[in-house]
Amino acid sequence: MSTLETEIQNRVSNSPTISATARPVAKRKHLERWVATIALLLICIGFALPFVWMLSTSLKTLDKTMEVPPHFWPSPMVPGNYWKVINHPKLDFPLLARNTLIIAVLSVLGTVISSSLVAYGFAKVRFKGSGVLFVMMLATMMIPFPVMMVSLFSIFRWLGDHTPVQFLGTLRPLWLPTWFGSAFNIFLLRQFFMTIPDELSEAALMDGCSEWGIFQRIILPLSKPALSVVALFTFMGAWNDFLGPLVYIQHPQQYTLALGLQTFQSQHGGTEWNLLMAASVLVILPVIILFFLAQKTFIQGIATTGLKG
Amino acid sequence: MVFTLIPVVLSLYYSVCDYSLLQPPAYIGGANYHELLDDPIFRKSLTNTLLYAIIALPAGLMVSLGLALLLNVKVAGQTFYRTVIFLPSLVPTVASAMLWMWLFNAKLGLINTVLDWLPFRLLIAGINAILGLVHLPQIETPIGWLTNPAWALPALAFMSFWGVGHTVVIYLAGLQDVPSELLESAEIDGAGMTRRLWHVTLPMLSPVIFFNLIMAIIGTLQVFAIPYIMTGGGPARATYFFTMYLYDNAFRYLKMGYASAMAWIQLLIILALTAIAFWSSRKWVYYQGK
Amino acid sequence: MHYIRTTILTLLGLTALAVMAFGGRSVESHKGQVVVTYWEKWTGKEAEQMQQIVNDFNQSVGQQKGIYVQYLSMSSVDQKTLVATAAGVPPDIAGLWNSQVAQFATINAVEPLDDLAAAHGITASYYKPVYWEGCRFNGHLWALISTPATIALHYNKRLMLERADSLRKAGLDPNRPPRTLDELDRYAQALDMVEKTPNGQKRIKSAGYLPMEPSWMLTYIPYWFGNKLFDEKTQKLTLTDPDIVRAFEWVKSYSVRLGKDSMTEFTNGFGQFASPQNPFLVGNVVMTLQGPWTANYVEDLKPSMNRWKFPKEKEKGMSVEERRKNYEWGAAPFPSAVPGLTDVSYASFDTLMIPRGAKHKQEAFEFIAYVNRQDVMEKLNSLHCKNSPLSQVSEQFIRNHPNPYISVFEELARSKNARGVPPMPIWPEVADELGVVAQRVYLLQAEPKEALQDAQNRLQEKYETFLERQRLRAKS
Repeated sequence: MSTLETEIQNRVSNSPTISATARPVAKRKHLERWVATIALLLICIGFALPFVWMLSTSLKTLDKTMEVPPHFWPSPMVPGNYWKVINHPKLDFPLLARNTLIIAVLSVLGTVISSSLVAYGFAKVRFKGSGVLFVMMLATMMIPFPVMMVSLFSIFRWLGDHTPVQFLGTLRPLWLPTWFGSAFNIFLLRQFFMTIPDELSEAALMDGCSEWGIFQRIILPLSKPALSVVALFTFMGAWNDFLGPLVYIQHPQQYTLALGLQTFQSQHGGTEWNLLMAASVLVILPVIILFFLAQKTFIQGIATTGLKG
Repeated sequence: MVFTLIPVVLSLYYSVCDYSLLQPPAYIGGANYHELLDDPIFRKSLTNTLLYAIIALPAGLMVSLGLALLLNVKVAGQTFYRTVIFLPSLVPTVASAMLWMWLFNAKLGLINTVLDWLPFRLLIAGINAILGLVHLPQIETPIGWLTNPAWALPALAFMSFWGVGHTVVIYLAGLQDVPSELLESAEIDGAGMTRRLWHVTLPMLSPVIFFNLIMAIIGTLQVFAIPYIMTGGGPARATYFFTMYLYDNAFRYLKMGYASAMAWIQLLIILALTAIAFWSSRKWVYYQGK
Repeated sequence: MHYIRTTILTLLGLTALAVMAFGGRSVESHKGQVVVTYWEKWTGKEAEQMQQIVNDFNQSVGQQKGIYVQYLSMSSVDQKTLVATAAGVPPDIAGLWNSQVAQFATINAVEPLDDLAAAHGITASYYKPVYWEGCRFNGHLWALISTPATIALHYNKRLMLERADSLRKAGLDPNRPPRTLDELDRYAQALDMVEKTPNGQKRIKSAGYLPMEPSWMLTYIPYWFGNKLFDEKTQKLTLTDPDIVRAFEWVKSYSVRLGKDSMTEFTNGFGQFASPQNPFLVGNVVMTLQGPWTANYVEDLKPSMNRWKFPKEKEKGMSVEERRKNYEWGAAPFPSAVPGLTDVSYASFDTLMIPRGAKHKQEAFEFIAYVNRQDVMEKLNSLHCKNSPLSQVSEQFIRNHPNPYISVFEELARSKNARGVPPMPIWPEVADELGVVAQRVYLLQAEPKEALQDAQNRLQEKYETFLERQRLRAKS
């Protein structure tokens, strides 16, 4: 990788040295930070509202949930609602969580692997008709799901009839398509891959690296933020997906969490808002925790700043 | 991709058929498309959607970009702020819809309660004075956000800002790739915040901005789930969006062929807008790698 | 900080693994039994109530005949059923709506039930005519019933007594509900509480009656004006008939009388239907049009209205008339605009249908027949707080029903002036369109005559195109 190292050396030595203008710069940064903090606090109050309301409702007794004027602080506070949800006779919470987790994990694996491969193809590999194919792929995002539902369902049925693998009546229709690439993620990753300088790949090629090697050793490590975004979004999407399970799941044993939330809704009055909100909070809690913890990967960016620029 | 391509092609075939889902499709040529052109509901849903997009799209992009930049400043508790901004996009659809319906309620909702505070009342009085000067109708308080046909659509557009979490996260990931020494050297050269933004950050971010632009075009034109629960398309079809009409045609009226034709018209519109975006992208999108 | 992160992540990972490996209670197997899949549209409490009935079946008739009903209940079930049936893997029983009977029958989506019904001894005389007719289309039986309803006038007895002076001044009796539509208008006006704001505008504090609360009933309001909406003989919609124009003029009259601005200001602040701020429950409107489920709503959202004079326990063993005194609200037939036309109502119901291609038709019908047995039907509808579709109704059903006014709904269901949906295969589309017409009329966006004419033209054309295409299919 010597050519690569030379590249890095060149770039680092070309950056200017710190001059005496450092002090006023530091002062400006301080002011920026203050302004930003205040703005963020105000905005966050607004953005936190939906979740705070959910949380507050989840801790109330049923009659207090729809009271007007609304009070954010529940009194009496009923944390027992959460226990009720987990142990609800009609809702096998651990089972739903298991099903949803299986779908989510498999979807993340499938999406990250397949989408990054295809995105690399679109971004770096020159092949005939890549433009047309790219547009076609984009176009598949533009057709709303309801229109495609029936055809997809029929495909799974056909596959079930003509191959030894069954699809309908299993969880497979919910994660298998992700192993074939997802237009959204392919597009996203392509954009990121295209920001990686060609010189790096060329340098690697000169050092005798194969296309696959470039992909593995250069592109992937540099795209950690983008890949973690893809993983996070896919996880979220699979975790919260309602329409997919609604259509494909045939068996109460295969319910996902999103479907399970319906247990608390009623058509003719009697929706147990407090339990519904408690269940909703439980459902989104893992994603929140994941997001909170995974932020380092967004922030991390690139190990050596000298690789860019 | 094979999973998506086949249904897409099939839907094109359905669009030239009479297909009720439960009977086999029967070819009828361009009749669906003809009928659509004459259909006032189709036109109404299209105008509603475009109007929604015009409000929600530019504003949403600016809001999300602004938020991302704000969240990129190294302040204490950055992780916390980012999580909070992302939270609303996690809230399940039903909970979200219920919350917003309550917030928007003219008498009992929080928004109108806040608008009743003095600074906002003065603001509205000021706006009304200006409107009166140009002979436009006045804003009546309390505003019937979801029940007044004039306000329902703007209310939904306003609501869409809360869902910017995804876009912001993508911007944040993109911002990490902006080379810090470029920023530092610009700063040392005396560039202020705005100039650094305009000349360094934005160009480096442009591929991501482009992505978010395309996704936003697709997203706003396909708006469906939450308004369907909140207003059902009312009042008097003021918030009846394109995808809602498509859904009703497919699953309530059992006119899947008609719905497929609608889907393809929507596709063409989105493609057209995307093409414009692509063409313009040559002027302002800068791929570092090239 | 790094350690905390790693520990939390490991914990999450371990929980995930544990959940994946051990989560979930065990599954029962059904060897040797025919498994009948039943997809229903309910969630929450209603779903549980039907689950009880399913369990009852599985433990009794199901055991005897080797049938196990697998019950799956979720919202948007019609979407799911359509997709599955279209792909050739339908459920054995689908719980849908009466408005879909003609639609599904025409496009051959459901199995005709004539033979199966005859084999089980189920005939027309078993049901109240309006429900039996609703299950039939083009001479065949396509569905049977799970939970029916009729709609009636609901009035707030307490508020009427509070405003008795105002009513008496108008020459009206505060102790009974109105009996003709004219009288209803006069009651409504006398019950209105309107005040003048400092800048001379009207502000409504409480309305006697508002046609648009709730607005979904307005689609069927022409029934009370003597019109059936659709002429079967000519196969034409009758939306421009003078009766219907009159009906929507009547709707408009409320907006005009109360003033559009003050009315919109008033209705903008209405709470949601399924909340304690429901306009009827908080006294925003004194009279409204609703179904038998009101008793359940009130019980859940504002139970004090069901305990006006004495505590609930005292109601046990009381006669229905005595029980009614404990309820702040009452129900009566919604009055019609046509002299002599009494006991008009719109009768809807939830259906049980067998999609075409279902694998276990015979067994599925066993369950449907079970649900339609008198005792089971009464149990289900007691739980769902609805009336019974059967012509025979036991005395206990009426006496023990959560709704003390259930006999009002029963009488309406037997009336010859009760109607279901018009027998039109494109009814869902027409219903939606009529709903929009009603909204435009009461928002004073359009004149009734024009709006109806426009709807009539477009819908009639759509209907004829539909029939034409069906004919073409039949030929090929």
